[in-house]
Amino acid sequence: MIHHRSPLRRRLRQYGIGYAFVAVPVLAGVIFLLIPMITTLGWSFTRFNGLQPPQFVGIDNYARLFTHDRIFIKALWNTFRFTILGMLIGPTLGLLTALMLNQKVRFQAFYRTAYFLPVMTSLVVVATIWRMIYNKHGLLNLALGALGLEPIRWLSDPHWALFSIVIASVWQGFGFETVIFLAALQGIPATLYEAAALDGANVWQRFWHVTLPALRPVILFIYIIGIIGSFQVFDQVFVMTSGGPANSTITLVYYLYSKFMDLRLGYASAIAYVLFGILMVFSYLQWRFFTETD
Amino acid sequence: MFPSRRTSLAKLMRGALYLTLTLSSLLMLLPFYWTVSTSFKLEQFVFANPPQWWPDPITLQNYIYVFTRIPFPRYLFNSVFVAVVATGAHVFFDTLAGYAFSKLRFPGRDAIFFAMLLALMIPFQVNLIPLYRIMAWFRWLDHYQALIIPNITGIFGIFLMRQFINSIPDELLDAARIDGCNELNVFLRVVFPLTLPGIATLVIFTFMDIWNAFLWPRLVLSSARMFTLPLGLAQLQARNTSTWGQIMAGTVLTALPMILIFLVMQRQFIAGMTEGAVKQ
Amino acid sequence: MPSKRISLLWALLIIFGLTLAACGGAATPTAAPAQPTATPATTSAAQPTEAPAQPKVEPTTITVWDYYGESSPITPIVDAFEAAHPDIKVQVESLDWDSTLEKLNVVMTGGTPPDVITLDMTWLPTFAPLGAFADLNQFAHGQLNGVPLEKAFSPGALKAMQYNDQVLAMLYDFDVYALYYRADIFEELGLDVPTTWDELTAVGKKLGDAGKGQYAVMPDTFHAAQFIYENGGSILNADNTAATFNQPAGVEAVSYYANLPKEGAGYVWSFEEGWEITPGLKDGRIAMFSDGPYYMGILKDAVPEMSGQWKVAVHPISKQPGSYLGGTGLVIPAKSEHPEAAWQFIEFALTKENQIGVFENAGAAPALLEALQSDAVNAPDPYFGGQRTLEVFLKAMDTAQPFPYVRAWNQIDETFTAAMEEILFGDADVKEALDNAAATIDDVLSSQ
Repeated sequence: MIHHRSPLRRRLRQYGIGYAFVAVPVLAGVIFLLIPMITTLGWSFTRFNGLQPPQFVGIDNYARLFTHDRIFIKALWNTFRFTILGMLIGPTLGLLTALMLNQKVRFQAFYRTAYFLPVMTSLVVVATIWRMIYNKHGLLNLALGALGLEPIRWLSDPHWALFSIVIASVWQGFGFETVIFLAALQGIPATLYEAAALDGANVWQRFWHVTLPALRPVILFIYIIGIIGSFQVFDQVFVMTSGGPANSTITLVYYLYSKFMDLRLGYASAIAYVLFGILMVFSYLQWRFFTETD
Repeated sequence: MFPSRRTSLAKLMRGALYLTLTLSSLLMLLPFYWTVSTSFKLEQFVFANPPQWWPDPITLQNYIYVFTRIPFPRYLFNSVFVAVVATGAHVFFDTLAGYAFSKLRFPGRDAIFFAMLLALMIPFQVNLIPLYRIMAWFRWLDHYQALIIPNITGIFGIFLMRQFINSIPDELLDAARIDGCNELNVFLRVVFPLTLPGIATLVIFTFMDIWNAFLWPRLVLSSARMFTLPLGLAQLQARNTSTWGQIMAGTVLTALPMILIFLVMQRQFIAGMTEGAVKQ
Repeated sequence: MPSKRISLLWALLIIFGLTLAACGGAATPTAAPAQPTATPATTSAAQPTEAPAQPKVEPTTITVWDYYGESSPITPIVDAFEAAHPDIKVQVESLDWDSTLEKLNVVMTGGTPPDVITLDMTWLPTFAPLGAFADLNQFAHGQLNGVPLEKAFSPGALKAMQYNDQVLAMLYDFDVYALYYRADIFEELGLDVPTTWDELTAVGKKLGDAGKGQYAVMPDTFHAAQFIYENGGSILNADNTAATFNQPAGVEAVSYYANLPKEGAGYVWSFEEGWEITPGLKDGRIAMFSDGPYYMGILKDAVPEMSGQWKVAVHPISKQPGSYLGGTGLVIPAKSEHPEAAWQFIEFALTKENQIGVFENAGAAPALLEALQSDAVNAPDPYFGGQRTLEVFLKAMDTAQPFPYVRAWNQIDETFTAAMEEILFGDADVKEALDNAAATIDDVLSSQ
């Protein structure tokens, strides 16, 4: 009898302890995530200014976003461009740098610090520094001038502004990717390379057939984190361009924010949920892609 | 002949490697150098052509301005206080929950965990205004609570800690249990010490997040005495009398504490961070 | 209050720490305390609900949001106000223009609003239809410091303060645009102050050719609207249902404005050089710009060394004078807990002496007629080479008009500015850019 009862009691006690251990995060999650999230979802079907009671309008906000709102489409397009550019440049640079650092170089600590330092600084600091560098008479334009080229209005030319923000963001972020790739590279067993070398594989083949497959989980990690982060780009835009010029740097989150700031809470909530939906689709696709090719 | 040519080619390659690494890392550091250098310049030399690489004359007036006209020490205190308290709470609660999700069994565990993973995908801005209203309801606006309480735990941290704790063999925990340790003691005596690298990672991420936060503090804080460093820096830029030298002095002071922490703890930083990611 | 939070955390840590001691003993007794420890942990998030609530002390404390920044006319009057009203304490929160708007929007959606706000009058259209601000007439009863409102303010100002039948703001400083120019350079080159657009182009070219700076061209609605008004155009039609800036008068005006840089007469100021044009004033890239009286204060603050070099004049026109009319209003949020005390502060801020203080401290133009007519305000200003600057702005005020009062003004402003940016920075076709913007705005207006 005792032998039968005690595991059950122990289990029940373990249940209690389990719940106790997750209680604070769950409670915080409910108050600071779940309730706000549901509230926003509810608002997204209303016309609501925060001062007067919300009016239910069905899916009007969503319909308007996709059929009437050119700025929203522009924000969507800019966000995609920002993400694609950033995700092409950042991880590639990070991997290249990591491959170089992995060649048993001396002063590795110095190089790594140099690449990683910007990661530690806040986006406000980064944006401030780059605003000075991008100044019409700033360092970059002086360099162009020294090469005999015309100065570029890095932030106020609609054709350049988004790209300029991408560059500043890559500068800030790719040290993170470098460090993580480097650790992953160092974790690949040397025996794999030796075996490949015995098979007569050249440098490129070894990279393609040994390094890259071994890095797959890390690449997945970097792209998931990176894409989710890129889609939420805000601080840089806020400090450097405020979405301008001519909405050329307006992004989804910045647009959402500006609608909040215009007391169009229902509309802003709808934008928030479109963003949420996109992120869900992306995560699902990535997950599918990486699990299926295994 | 052949082997020596090979080695000279290898030498050349190695030279190119060092050259690339050195040039690119200097390029990475250049914006920092330029910031520091500008902060010591007189205003008329900020955009001098050709650029003034070394400030001449070196002036401290920008720093004096930032220290005397802006309550910088107060901002520093606010930033440190909020980041330290919130990070401490984070480490405690995240590890605890990570342990529960990894090693304890209870009905609904995986469902809760999955729900949390989903919630990880919610952009913070989705919750912005409702969250603000909640802060107002608690009467936390313009108090430290508004910065700290929503940040005492986080899903990413729990996820991270769970990954670390997953790698602790169950036998180790069972051994402790057989020794008569209760779950809390198992956690504190066995799990906590074994996850120290993970905790280092968590500390880095959390501290960085809270230290660098901008949008949220900007919304919930309204009096200057409550401002954190990034808000102080933004305020400095919003003044129409601020010069680039002053702004850069403010930038240096905002970035410096975090950079110092990094330089001091750099090894643990990088080790913890990479371990966390590679373990995924 | 924060110390309370920490002590709670410490308490938690200590509770957990104590249970450690029991390790190695029997499992049963130590297991029990583990569960209850979670309870204080959970309450830690919820408990401070009551804690920060300030105990009701005797004097009422009112909070004032002040966007003037360093040269504030608000902070200097606080001590005198508290001395005159011992039952009221004033807490001033010093903000900047941008963050004031941001906080205002956010606080309206659920926070505790302050009791008095310095409000840019162009923000009023957004908030007025929502009932965000109290009708000041319920405290004023048509009078300000014993003077009927109609006598205290000019008709234009009075109109700007009203929404439907309510008085939502007390105008505190007024803003109309005039031409700032470098009198020293004009004298050196023997130039006359331009009074027409043709002259503006000619003078700008001569200045530019001499390398002495140009006319500042900026894409925002304030500056661009000036030209549209001067050309007989408008932003919206009379009943605010459709955009009109893309009609011939508007297109012509914007084309002229956008052409200034191409002819070498204007300098396109872009935000990457600074949100304010002050760096361009210092290094001589800008020798003419149009802005409101508050810029006198900014000049004195930002470029004190240029004293004696600047003067102001009526802005050059093509067909008729015209400017936007705005300024700063003092408002009381409808949700303010101390509207009576707030009104007393507003009245105090709008006494003749304190209105003169607006001129002396912020360099801005007071709104109260009595102050405008005072000698202190109309004294020759040494910074402007002894000019009586306010006369110029007062003259501009006669023909100035507020921006349209529509809830969607924010969107209109943003859309129009974006079109101006396309034109000035992106070389877009004027007519096409304005037509697109007008279509967007029409759509917005029809969906309200």
